[in-house]
Amino acid sequence: VTSTAQSTGSGAAPEALRYEDINIPVSGPGEHFAIYDALRAQGSAHRATVHDRDTLVVVSGIDGIRSCMQDPATFSNRAVAVDEPNPSYKWIPEMIDPPLHTKWRHLLGPFFSPGAVQRLTPRVHEVINEIIDDVIGRGQCDYVADVALRFPNTVFMEMFGLPVSDAAQFQDWETAILHSPPTAGDDLSPLRRAAAMREVMDYFSDLVAQRRAHPREDILSTALGFSIDGERVSDADLLGFCLLMFMAGLDTVAAQLSYSTYHLALHPGDRRRLAAEPALWPSAIEEFLRYYAFVSPGRKATRDTEVAGCPVEAGQMVFLPLASANRDEAEFPEPDQVKIDRENNRHLAFGAGPHRCLGSHLARRELMIGLTAWHQRIPDYQIDPAVAITEHGRQVGLNNLPLTWDARS
Amino acid sequence: MKITVDRDKCTGHARCQATAPDVYQLDDLGYCAITELTVPTGLEQQAQAGAGACPERAITVEL
Repeated sequence: VTSTAQSTGSGAAPEALRYEDINIPVSGPGEHFAIYDALRAQGSAHRATVHDRDTLVVVSGIDGIRSCMQDPATFSNRAVAVDEPNPSYKWIPEMIDPPLHTKWRHLLGPFFSPGAVQRLTPRVHEVINEIIDDVIGRGQCDYVADVALRFPNTVFMEMFGLPVSDAAQFQDWETAILHSPPTAGDDLSPLRRAAAMREVMDYFSDLVAQRRAHPREDILSTALGFSIDGERVSDADLLGFCLLMFMAGLDTVAAQLSYSTYHLALHPGDRRRLAAEPALWPSAIEEFLRYYAFVSPGRKATRDTEVAGCPVEAGQMVFLPLASANRDEAEFPEPDQVKIDRENNRHLAFGAGPHRCLGSHLARRELMIGLTAWHQRIPDYQIDPAVAITEHGRQVGLNNLPLTWDARS
Repeated sequence: MKITVDRDKCTGHARCQATAPDVYQLDDLGYCAITELTVPTGLEQQAQAGAGACPERAITVEL
């Protein structure tokens, strides 16, 4: 296994791989995944630069990505964005390491356990059906904006006891923070990103103060009573918890619903098979999670080490694109094929190690309910060929998914 | 057939139970509740599939 450098097309001396060339702001659907595929074909780990100065290691193979995530003592979560190795913010529990991380996960676990998700399920059904009621008569929609973003946002707002009328504002903030290009760009996105982050922090600081004064029966009010090692959790840490819920809980399910529906729109054969054999939905959803994994975490090395044969220095960032792990031919036969009945699909879409996505059980339930409800009520639909579909970088996802269907049927 | 679960590696994906509900039980937080189990006759295939679903590779199957 070797480290590699990407060569330029001009035949000049090889130039170091740039993070900015992997994480492109706007592309066609699936282009980010194709970039990872090309990199993985060259090796399992690659040196790269970000901001043309800081160096990082991009890990391509599933073994390297899994072992980094399973070793938090060597690969810390105190920085998780490879272009921000010294962040001023601390999202909780994502950006803390064991043993403190373990204590937070224990406190939060009951809200996101399989049993808690089971109790939320009736309401999740209602939410998606209310959304489909809104769009079904139109015969067309932008699936991303009109369905995929609205659905998990509404569930989240209710868990946090927030007015659903704030959901549109949340969506604007998410787009500015999570979808912006690398911060080295000379456009306005870094400024928009910082401004949105400040507004989100103000919103949740106010919320913490409100719930402190008037607790309710929501997750944040319960968290106000958390103690760790005998100390009451601080308002600053509660804010860090709110920020992570905001970052991780809304956009992710939306992105996965959108890619899954994009795939099914393009593959009517898979759609027909799922209609005839609904027992295949769980394995189909796992396969969409594998194939369209959009989360690309970073970790910060705590000591000199190596990954997949590539040296890593203390303080250096490693980039772990889960899509690349999930498309590694060493683990998955015919990884470039979506097989809705794939077996032994131990993909890493929800990560691995102690930071395994806390919301994975809720996410899977939302995917199952969101996709099956749509396909029961709108089984036949097409992509509108007149509208270009684009994909954004950072936390990769579709910007839009224009669908049409026969509203009279 | 015997299965062994490395509880240090289990991080609560709960895929073993989703794949093989008759073999793998979870605790209240969704972590595998099994450390060692002799697989009841007839459930060998399920047990193996559940082990094969673990993203952490925390489950070992001995024939």
